[in-house]
Amino acid sequence: MTAEIGVADVPALLAGAEFYSTSAAGEGIEFAGPWLEDILAHTGPVRLVPAAELPPDTPCAAIGGMGSTTAMAELPPSGDEPVTLARSLAMAGGRRLGAVMPLNAASVNALFPVAAAAVLGLPLIDCDGMGRVFPLIHQTTYELAGLSLSPLAVVSAGHDSLLLDTGSARAEQLARSMAQAAGGWLMCGMYQTRAGRLRDAAIHGSVSRVLEVGRVLCEGGPLDRLLRGLAGAAGASVLGGGRVVEIGPSVRQAGTVYPGNPVGMVVHDLGTGRLIRLEAHNELVLALADGALVAAVPDLLCLLDRGTLRMTGTERLAAGDLVDVLRVPAAPVWHSVPGLALGGPGAFGFPLRHPGEGAR
Amino acid sequence: MTGPGARARRPAEQLTVDELVRYGPLGRAEMLAGENLARQVSQVALVSELDAIRRCGPGTAVVLASGLALGAWAVESALRLAWERGAACLVTPAVTGPTQATAQLARRMRLPLFAVEGDSAPVALDLAAAVASPEAARARLAARCAELFAERSSVRGIVGVINTEVPGVTAALVAPDGHVLAGQSAAVRAEHQVRVGVPGPDGRGWAELVAAMSGAQSQTWAATVRLILRLARAPLATSVARERVEAVHHAERGRAALAAIFAGAAEAAARALPEEAPEIPEPVLGWRVDGRHVAVFLRTGAALDVAAATPGVVSAWQEALPDLPLVPWESGWASWWSGGEIEVDQVAAALGRALARMRPPVPLSGGVGRAAYGAGGLRESLSQAVLAAGVTVREAPGTVRSFDELGYRVMLAALSGPDLVASARVVLADLLSAPDGPVLVATLAAVLDCGGSTSQAASRLGVHRNTVLGRVERIRARGVDPDRPDQRLALHLACYALLPEL
Repeated sequence: MTAEIGVADVPALLAGAEFYSTSAAGEGIEFAGPWLEDILAHTGPVRLVPAAELPPDTPCAAIGGMGSTTAMAELPPSGDEPVTLARSLAMAGGRRLGAVMPLNAASVNALFPVAAAAVLGLPLIDCDGMGRVFPLIHQTTYELAGLSLSPLAVVSAGHDSLLLDTGSARAEQLARSMAQAAGGWLMCGMYQTRAGRLRDAAIHGSVSRVLEVGRVLCEGGPLDRLLRGLAGAAGASVLGGGRVVEIGPSVRQAGTVYPGNPVGMVVHDLGTGRLIRLEAHNELVLALADGALVAAVPDLLCLLDRGTLRMTGTERLAAGDLVDVLRVPAAPVWHSVPGLALGGPGAFGFPLRHPGEGAR
Repeated sequence: MTGPGARARRPAEQLTVDELVRYGPLGRAEMLAGENLARQVSQVALVSELDAIRRCGPGTAVVLASGLALGAWAVESALRLAWERGAACLVTPAVTGPTQATAQLARRMRLPLFAVEGDSAPVALDLAAAVASPEAARARLAARCAELFAERSSVRGIVGVINTEVPGVTAALVAPDGHVLAGQSAAVRAEHQVRVGVPGPDGRGWAELVAAMSGAQSQTWAATVRLILRLARAPLATSVARERVEAVHHAERGRAALAAIFAGAAEAAARALPEEAPEIPEPVLGWRVDGRHVAVFLRTGAALDVAAATPGVVSAWQEALPDLPLVPWESGWASWWSGGEIEVDQVAAALGRALARMRPPVPLSGGVGRAAYGAGGLRESLSQAVLAAGVTVREAPGTVRSFDELGYRVMLAALSGPDLVASARVVLADLLSAPDGPVLVATLAAVLDCGGSTSQAASRLGVHRNTVLGRVERIRARGVDPDRPDQRLALHLACYALLPEL
């Protein structure tokens, strides 16, 4: 099946991107909507193709941004960055790119690959490597499948360009310090591969799913219809809903490798009286109901504001707000042993077993 | 400390969480949730990973090691696991950051939650030591109580020590008639009790110390409570003896002083000299005898030994009105309000409130004299109060009447002795033999009080005038004529003598 993403699809793409950002990394990504609309208005729609429909030896690479979305909003990408990235990658790989795929189809990174495909005139592969947002660029199914992250091509807000050839974790570390120095964010090209290898290395249909979820959200309430729609489109289930009774910095001493600050919040479930504690570190990491772990990374946790019927996050909430806590199961590959090691509670510094994990 | 698999002690010997708070290591911890403190602690487990809680037995005091200082989520996870395992309580290092919501969760689970500053391992060690030898911990409690008993000088203070220091125990000191002398009356109605007799100053049983124990019962704990009650006996007897001796001594000094004041005033009056306050008693007792006074007199209906009732009456009085003296005087007790602007109505109202609040050993009612100046005036006011009190004796306990309110009727009250009552019954025998005799006597009294006006009498009795007219007809039909001037005084007196009897 071949589809297209045009200007008219951007609002749904943005809403879906916000949903999959697990309520924290989606803060302040609205700027990317008009930015992408502007690009698509010039280039025309982007072709969205499943990996299986491309010739297996098509050279492709993942595109995504890293750093602060706030910095991106203040100093948005010019739109020329993908050209620089494509040149760097072609230089390193010896072949021109035939298609691009998202690093992760969530938050701003659901929009950047569309812009890249549009600017480069290439098809966008309907897949991604996370199915959500993770804080580190190597927390991907590409990595799990053994694809090499480097060479990592980066370009900054000031059009500084760099090609890093090193190990995945180290590439992450170096790129992050560069992002700090170069204006807060970087656009990256990585995981250079051929379309045929994506069959086992990617989460397929991610971009279509983001669009579908986005359309449900754009259609709006009433609440129960919206929740039914999200259950159908994303498999979202409601853990509980009620008033935020506590929100503030968490004294958790863990995960120092991650950017951002730990935040804790508690929702008093109106239906059952349970206290749902959510721990966030950029993204919502886990949920405990009355002290029992009910959801954790790599599964998604999102917050739906009952007042506005929009996705919301820890930075926009205050004690007293009414929210619904949603859980969306991650792609099955994340529930494997290596998947949980890379993206499970332990990877975030929580000595807990994932609720889906059998007793070991 | 014992490991999760260690042998659980016999329930009878186990300490409760409450005990560990009151006189154990948990006293130093901050209690974030204090529900269900009566749980017995069978063992202590210091856990450094959450999964270890799954291996704890019921009744375990779970202590989180500092390595688990990972945030509120970790405390809540531990709470959940501890609750599932039936733990007795959870102790967490304060740095783990338990929040209001964490405490709320603990309260919902009814699982006591404590936070300790610094390293939690020493707390776990102390807990294990206390749990391992409950006897030692209880002996320390008994020693502490004994020490506090010695420091308290009042009965109330001594019973209070038991109520505040001994966890899960409410105690009361109960008189043989069931009257609670001190402590919490709930103790008397409780199911599980320990009772210990308390001897009075004369060595005979005077009261009983009752302790009610809540929560799970154990023989050793009951023995500890009994030991503590026994330790309280001697201090209680001493304190009671001291209070009684002091009360009697003080009352006698007061009587002597008042007599001296009145004698001095009488002498001064006889010599027609300006009144002088006598020198001896006043500075000692701190009384004011110059200025304006209103005297009051308390008495009781039953014929009784004033001296025997005095300690009880005085202590009840001092509870209600700690600033005013109460002196045994004639057949009752005298006191007085002093002050430049003191009024009879104020005093009567204050005395009424005090009597309602007091719990004297005998029923009391009071009379209030007129306002007067100086020692001589006080004597006069007291005489009036004695007369007014004479009227109240016929009324309900707690009644207060002022001399002014009663007017000359105080005279009638003074005359209503048994002889007069007997004569009145003979004189009014015809009237009393009517089916509604008492009503006719009351109506006759009202008509005479109102100078023969039937309409006034009707409004005083709260009936229609025609009813009064009908009753007067029946009174006349029985041979009593209220209009005969030569009979009126005698009739009026007879009615007054009988009225309180009806």
